Amino acid sequence: MLIVFVTAAVFLQEACRKKDSGLVQQPYNPTFLKLELPAGWPAPSFNIFATNPLTEEGFQLGRKLFYDGRLSKDGNFPCASCHQQFAAFATYDHDLSHGFNNSFTTRNAPGLFNLAWMKELHWDGGINHIEVQPLAPLTAPNEMAENVDSVLAKLKKDTGYVRMFSAAFEDGTINSQHLLKALAQFMGSIISADSKYDMVKKGLGTFTSSEQAGYTFFKAKCESCHREPLFTDFSYRNTGLPINSFLNDFGRMVITGNRSDSLKFKVPTLRNSSLTYPYTHDGRFYTIGQVLEHYRTGVANGPTTDPLVAGGIPMTNTDKTNLILFLNTLTDNTLVSNPRFAQ
Amino acid sequence: MLHKKILFFTIAGFLLILAGCGKNPDPAATTGIVKISLKNMVNGVPLTLAGPAYTNPFGETYTVNKFKYYISNITVNFSGMAYSEKESYHLVDQADAASQSISFAAKTGTYSNIIFTLGVDSMRNVSGAQTGALDPLKDMFWTWNSGYIMAKMEATSPLSTQPNNKVEYHIGGFSGANNVLKTISLNMPAGKLLDVREGKISELKIEADLNKWWLLPNDIKIATTPVCTTPGTLAANIAANYSKMFTLTDVVNN
Repeated sequence: MLIVFVTAAVFLQEACRKKDSGLVQQPYNPTFLKLELPAGWPAPSFNIFATNPLTEEGFQLGRKLFYDGRLSKDGNFPCASCHQQFAAFATYDHDLSHGFNNSFTTRNAPGLFNLAWMKELHWDGGINHIEVQPLAPLTAPNEMAENVDSVLAKLKKDTGYVRMFSAAFEDGTINSQHLLKALAQFMGSIISADSKYDMVKKGLGTFTSSEQAGYTFFKAKCESCHREPLFTDFSYRNTGLPINSFLNDFGRMVITGNRSDSLKFKVPTLRNSSLTYPYTHDGRFYTIGQVLEHYRTGVANGPTTDPLVAGGIPMTNTDKTNLILFLNTLTDNTLVSNPRFAQ
Repeated sequence: MLHKKILFFTIAGFLLILAGCGKNPDPAATTGIVKISLKNMVNGVPLTLAGPAYTNPFGETYTVNKFKYYISNITVNFSGMAYSEKESYHLVDQADAASQSISFAAKTGTYSNIIFTLGVDSMRNVSGAQTGALDPLKDMFWTWNSGYIMAKMEATSPLSTQPNNKVEYHIGGFSGANNVLKTISLNMPAGKLLDVREGKISELKIEADLNKWWLLPNDIKIATTPVCTTPGTLAANIAANYSKMFTLTDVVNN
């Protein structure tokens, strides 16, 4: 009896909903996912999926879009052209990346992983939410050189996308919001937490004595900015890199308009640094050794140079070698070979 | 006995669910429509795009090609009572006549004042991909420094030193000293109230004078500052000027 009443009530409510909306909706029955946070990591200070519930269907749509050249003007520049999985989603072996019509980008493409912890994106932090980030490369004339209207028109012609958008979103319209939310679901789900360092932290591996010595040096000299376990504190700092007079990139100051932010750039994570060379915002250093040499002898002292590096970081050649060996333990081979993030 | 109790509650619950089927949760609250008709003007003359040359208070001539601004979070008030439009975001575009008329349902009653934000509140500037009036496709969202352009004027002027004599003011910024958000509060003309009656449309006529962008409290001359496309002091100065551009000219109650 009870079951009959409940069923009838549910049925009637459903009928009432359909009457209100005036049409019978396509079935929307996604598989909701929960972002698995690595054990022992801090929870993100904000939830990038708060207004964008993570679903398998949304993730898969985002993955397809990430690898689709149709997001660019001439079809040659999907997101993945500058964010290659084998390079931890940075551009392998390029100081600056290539864009539409034989152009260069003006900054080094960062690796895309652990973005769920990153409140502000870009080297200058100009992007305040992962969902609106793709608008920048998509519309930049030296990157994908497209406009969103045109991308949406292309996607609407593809019945595969029509199906995927309606599976991923309750109102399955192909629009800019759904495009951006799907991309955010894919990119925000990429987590890198399976390096040798992580194994050691879980008690499942051990550092060599050189790696351990490098770790000890890291703890003493690097950790205040490159904070574990994400290996960045997400702050903006001037590490004493003289300005490149071709690029004239003043970093954070361009966003805030404050002189005190001149030449400051976001502290990059050191995870997967063996795969993401060249280094720094403009890719000026090809090896980790060159970066460390900069900190030892190359720091330019200006009004905004960070006090932690002003005057250089003293290190012996042995310190340097050990530190490089330690940084190599941050390479996550699971990330670069995970078929879930592949094309 | 227990069985009877269960049956009773089941039937009661069933009836409650049925009752919930009605459209209006509060049948006592009746509504009418508030229609805001916006008219963009220059010195008392209706604005025409790509049309006549206008003259600013410094005697500089200019021709307007684009004029767009956001109006959000509209509330009508009267002696402690307030009614706010839900999901209240509107892009007024001189090139789109339909966008110059904003209608929403409000509780019946009389109102003496209307308040809205000129711009998009800071929350929506930091909450990811939006849709509707806030869709980034509306050409009012910065892709390199996330945030909405709250108001946009594009013009040409022989006084401009820029390529093709361009004059471009893209005014945005939502935090700290760069905040250009303006709360606009307009009272009904003397002796008049907005009277929202059940099922009727009451109209508020509001004019926006583009020539207020140049003066008071800050002098903005085309010859010296023909372009402003980043948040900062100049944008804040222009916003301080244009916050005075609205006049509520008339109320038509039906």
